[in-house]
Amino acid sequence: MSSQTTDPRPTRPGRALAHLLTWMAAALRGEEPGEVATEFTSYYETAARVSARDLRQLTDEQLRRRSRHFARHVQAVLAAATKHPHGPPAATAGRPEADPTADLVSRAAVPAFALVREAARRTLGLEPFEVQIVAGLAMAQHHIVEMPTGEGKTLAAVFPVYLHALAGYGVHVLTFNDYLARRDAAWMGPIYRLLGLSVGCVQEGMSVAERRAAYRCDLTYLTAKEAGFDLLRDSLCLQPEEQVHRPLHLAVIDEADSILIDEARIPLVIAGSSEEDHDTLPRLAALARRLVPGEDFDTDQARRNVFLTDEGIARVERALACENLFAPPSLSLQAAVRNALHAEHLLSRDVDYIVRAGAIELVDEITGRVAERRHWPNGLQAAVEAKEGVHLGAGGTILGSITIQHLMRQYPHLAGMTATAASAAAELWDVYGLPAMVVPPNRPCRRVDEPDRIFTCRAARDAALAEEIAREHASGRPVLVGTASVAESERLAAALQSRNIACQVLNAKHDAREAEIVADAGDLGAVTISTNMAGRGTDIRLGGRHERHRDGVTDLGGLLVLGTHRHPSLRVDRQLRGRAGRQGDPGASRFFLSLDDEMLTAAGIGDLIPAGLVATDVDRPLEIPLIQREVARAQRIIEGEHASARRRLYAYADAIETRRREIAAWRQEVLDGRSVGDLLEERCRQRWERLRPVVGEAVLRGVEQRLTLLAIDRCWADYLGEMQSLRDEIHLVSLDGREPLVEFTRAAGRAYGQMLDRIDDTIAEGFEALDITPAGVDWAGCDLRRPAATWTYMISDTEFRPNVLRSLANHATFGLWAALLLAPLLFIWGLYEHWRRRRSRNAAACPNGSRGPAASGAIEAGNGEQ
Amino acid sequence: MIESLRNIFAIPDLRKRVLFTFLLLAVYRFGAFIPVPGVDPNAIEEFTKQASGTILGFLNLFSGGALGRMTIFALGIMPYISSSIILQLLTVVWPYLEKLSKEGDLGRKKITQYTRYGTVVLSIIQSMGISFFLEQTSAPGGAPLVPAPGWGFRLLTILTLTTGTAFVMWLGEQITERGVGNGISLIIFAGIVVGLPAAIFNTIEDIRTGSMSIFTAVIFMVFAVVVVGAIVLMERAQRRIPVQYAKRVVGRKVYGGQSTYLPLRLNTGGVIPVIFAASILSFPQTIGQMIDSPVVKAITRALSWGEPLYNLVYVISIIFFCYFYTSIIFNPQDTAENMRKYGGFIPGIRPGQRTADFIDTILTRITLVGAIYLSLVAILPEVLLTGFKVATIPFIGGWLDAAIPRFITEGLGVKFYFGGTSLLIVVGVAMDTVQQIEAQMVMRHYDGFVKGRRIRGRRG
Repeated sequence: MSSQTTDPRPTRPGRALAHLLTWMAAALRGEEPGEVATEFTSYYETAARVSARDLRQLTDEQLRRRSRHFARHVQAVLAAATKHPHGPPAATAGRPEADPTADLVSRAAVPAFALVREAARRTLGLEPFEVQIVAGLAMAQHHIVEMPTGEGKTLAAVFPVYLHALAGYGVHVLTFNDYLARRDAAWMGPIYRLLGLSVGCVQEGMSVAERRAAYRCDLTYLTAKEAGFDLLRDSLCLQPEEQVHRPLHLAVIDEADSILIDEARIPLVIAGSSEEDHDTLPRLAALARRLVPGEDFDTDQARRNVFLTDEGIARVERALACENLFAPPSLSLQAAVRNALHAEHLLSRDVDYIVRAGAIELVDEITGRVAERRHWPNGLQAAVEAKEGVHLGAGGTILGSITIQHLMRQYPHLAGMTATAASAAAELWDVYGLPAMVVPPNRPCRRVDEPDRIFTCRAARDAALAEEIAREHASGRPVLVGTASVAESERLAAALQSRNIACQVLNAKHDAREAEIVADAGDLGAVTISTNMAGRGTDIRLGGRHERHRDGVTDLGGLLVLGTHRHPSLRVDRQLRGRAGRQGDPGASRFFLSLDDEMLTAAGIGDLIPAGLVATDVDRPLEIPLIQREVARAQRIIEGEHASARRRLYAYADAIETRRREIAAWRQEVLDGRSVGDLLEERCRQRWERLRPVVGEAVLRGVEQRLTLLAIDRCWADYLGEMQSLRDEIHLVSLDGREPLVEFTRAAGRAYGQMLDRIDDTIAEGFEALDITPAGVDWAGCDLRRPAATWTYMISDTEFRPNVLRSLANHATFGLWAALLLAPLLFIWGLYEHWRRRRSRNAAACPNGSRGPAASGAIEAGNGEQ
Repeated sequence: MIESLRNIFAIPDLRKRVLFTFLLLAVYRFGAFIPVPGVDPNAIEEFTKQASGTILGFLNLFSGGALGRMTIFALGIMPYISSSIILQLLTVVWPYLEKLSKEGDLGRKKITQYTRYGTVVLSIIQSMGISFFLEQTSAPGGAPLVPAPGWGFRLLTILTLTTGTAFVMWLGEQITERGVGNGISLIIFAGIVVGLPAAIFNTIEDIRTGSMSIFTAVIFMVFAVVVVGAIVLMERAQRRIPVQYAKRVVGRKVYGGQSTYLPLRLNTGGVIPVIFAASILSFPQTIGQMIDSPVVKAITRALSWGEPLYNLVYVISIIFFCYFYTSIIFNPQDTAENMRKYGGFIPGIRPGQRTADFIDTILTRITLVGAIYLSLVAILPEVLLTGFKVATIPFIGGWLDAAIPRFITEGLGVKFYFGGTSLLIVVGVAMDTVQQIEAQMVMRHYDGFVKGRRIRGRRG
């Protein structure tokens, strides 16, 4: 019967050759197997089986009992089938291949999903669509699912979350922001509770006890950042009961591309306060204000670094009465000048930060929201505070750090959903080993995405935009405008008010009214001006809170989304457009761009577009296809730069991450009392022996435990600080033909060994300095004090472009290439010989006839084949 | 190093990678013995033997003998290297590629794709050249290399060699991906060193048969070791200029111990100046063969390999190209500007022009040392082994020839497996390969550090 399984067609050599050629062509192009799945018929079959189960006749109590019974069963099966993957997380890419939950999905999905479906119907009055169940199935099997906006991702996530939460390990639903964590937990909570599961929610500013309680629920809604910072804070606790996390199990990530990709550019850093000298800062801020751009200082094209020119140096040295700013005694002054310049000229109020209640609050670049307790590192924070004349806070030291990529890898299981997964599929697969899958909309999308209107300067763009809003507003059509910053949103709002158009502004300053503004944004005559805050996760219903206005708005063409700029990624643009046209509603989106936009100039749009094309009528949009194309290209360049920044960050962080895990595991053992040191007994034998009869061995063991924890934290913080500086400087080794990343990894390994030694030294030194009496231990005198406050850092990476020629010289293979320069010479020589011989042969052959050399060659070849 | 070697066999993943690498290299070596159809193997062997001192011999060395035997891997990995270098250079000058290279993953993939296409195109051109060359050349004995020339032979050669190169390229990429080190470097390296055991064996044979004295052999060995050691030392030599960064949190340095510095290499240009110089000097030879005039012949003779004038011009061109190439690839102005941008500076020296001047001065000085070293390595081995032919120096030549001992004027009479230039390249490739393998070990945290030794020692 084996003949049936093989291909019955005869393999002809021709076909084999064709196959070979196609394969070779594919190999040359470097094609990889498709990463985006759109084939999932089996999911639809399962979904149909889920829908077929009618549980309507059961009472609530029966549902809950069935769910509980089911949970016990699942736990038993899991325990029997395999050890839970809560060993050390796999260091290599990808998920574990033998996945116990795969079995769980295939065996338990239908009954579990049917329970959720029924519970959703009863508690929320929502009947899940088939596509939502399909998406739930895909997520249960660790896919990143692409579902258009408004298709009910929140509800779709409940299916896999419920199924995996049954195992009892705790499931995290990572939302895009705090507001959504709160909203979704409250909104979906009744479903879970009806099925007997507890739901928690973690918010910024919650106490340790509240967090602990939330993490102990069967499932927890929170942001990825909170999960990460709690992990970092847990690694600094001195008492086991201060720790909040349980071992991580599954994370279902909402807006997965944003969290896994866009936010992965900034590592999570936790910092503690340290003493810093602030006296000169106000003077430096005033000095920085007086310096002239282009004359005294310059910035690089991407506007990430600022530096003094020669004139600027002279001026600063005169103003500060400093002989040479670059001589060793002035080093800290020089660093402060640089920070003052950075604060004054690269960071803008109401764009990068807002000033509220006498304090600087950073605005998150991606969410557009205020990022609470986030600072700039290395004295930049103090420089900004001096610039704005607010109270100067304490300086900071980095205590712990983890990248989003490494954080996510701590979860043995991941799944996610977003409206824009397909274009990020390659990176999701490469970094996280997560396949992407596109689920079609329940109803086809009717939104019209109009081509960009591009203007040469911002003033013309703003005028045209205000005109457009006024025209659309006159008809009563709701308009949502996505602006780039707090300042821009306020400028536009002022312009509209002068035209007597009432509008709502949704930005970091008005975050308290967010829910209210969003609820009204789809109503007749609503004009909403927003920053990135409305870009993701906001669900704008046509007609707003008035169901009767819905038809009116639909007749006017639905919500109109206007954008003022391209975002750093096409996906974010698509997200903003996605606010319109939800669930098959009508809608439109239109972008008004100006060529002097900061992102476009940073990508060098000026170099991309021939100068002659742009200098036309300023007030009219440029309708030149080339410009449209180059704007798209500029955006791709920015995307590419961000992608390489992420790759770099990840690679460098990887050198430290293995060590972080090792230290964290050791620290946890010390904290739990599983690892008891005998270092002091050996190294400080005298003092130990003297104290033991006085205070007792238990106290001394306690002292050693605490000293060990403190020493680990101190040395690790020093280590991180050192590595951070090294990271900025290591690129110099490329001048020597070495790979900075390799050298960094090497240095990180070496320094780690030294750090382990230093921990021992620090413990011993701390013990000798500590005042231990029968009355107690005087920890106040210990210089391993804890930081008073912790916060997070906004750290961006600098890029260093290597010189191509130099990198070539460093490869000995280039020498071989240079040798190969001689190969053309060889070729020319061969041709010359050919020509010379032909001449001589012709001369010899001429008397006998005029047979050409080409013909003779052909005949000779013919002979050779016989 | 020994620690690293032990690690190779201690870690299963690494062991697998090493075995995989050796397996693919074996496949490569196997292919380097399959001849191209239509070439007379005996004739090509004779021809290669005769051409061993020329540039052809040089190229043959780097194809691992595949070129000299005219096998399917005769072109080896060279077209791929050329193609990737051409593309890298084009990225600098051609705006389209520059934009593409900035567009992240997609752009990079496109450029890799172009590199592969370029490899195929270059292979076709080069194999065409080779097929023409083979058809027109005869072995010293008079037998034509290609008994049956014509388009059939040419097309077959083009197809065979191009496919061979594409296959070698694939092997190289597989090694890079699943083996240890950079596949391309390893393939070249394997090709070069594979002749070494045979050379050693031949030397032993020579000693046994008495055609070489033990004394000469020992001197030869000591000399080889000293030269190789000197090359390794000089290639790694650098002047370190301390650099400070404004961003660094001011405070004590705890770990690492090494401070940040600007590493200026003694020999910035690597082996390139020597190769440029050798190429320049090969022009008169090539032209001299084509033009039949007594004046040209005389010049050619004076400039032929081993003559004093040749050595003099050779040394001068090496020094010239050292400075020339250093000035191309290391621009103190750019370096100073880059440092300024990212907040780095040399303590006590203001950024900008002054820093550039400072770097320039130091670079000029150390490049002279580097240039002298390169010249010595490039001519000394040849001179020592074949002798310093003083007799042809005008006026005093005859007197000198008589006055100087014979072992200087005629050398040791030993055929050195590697000439000075080849030695530079071989050592360079070897250092590069070792560095890459070591880098890979570091990146996989295999670098001799036994995980968690101290932590575990204190547990429980």
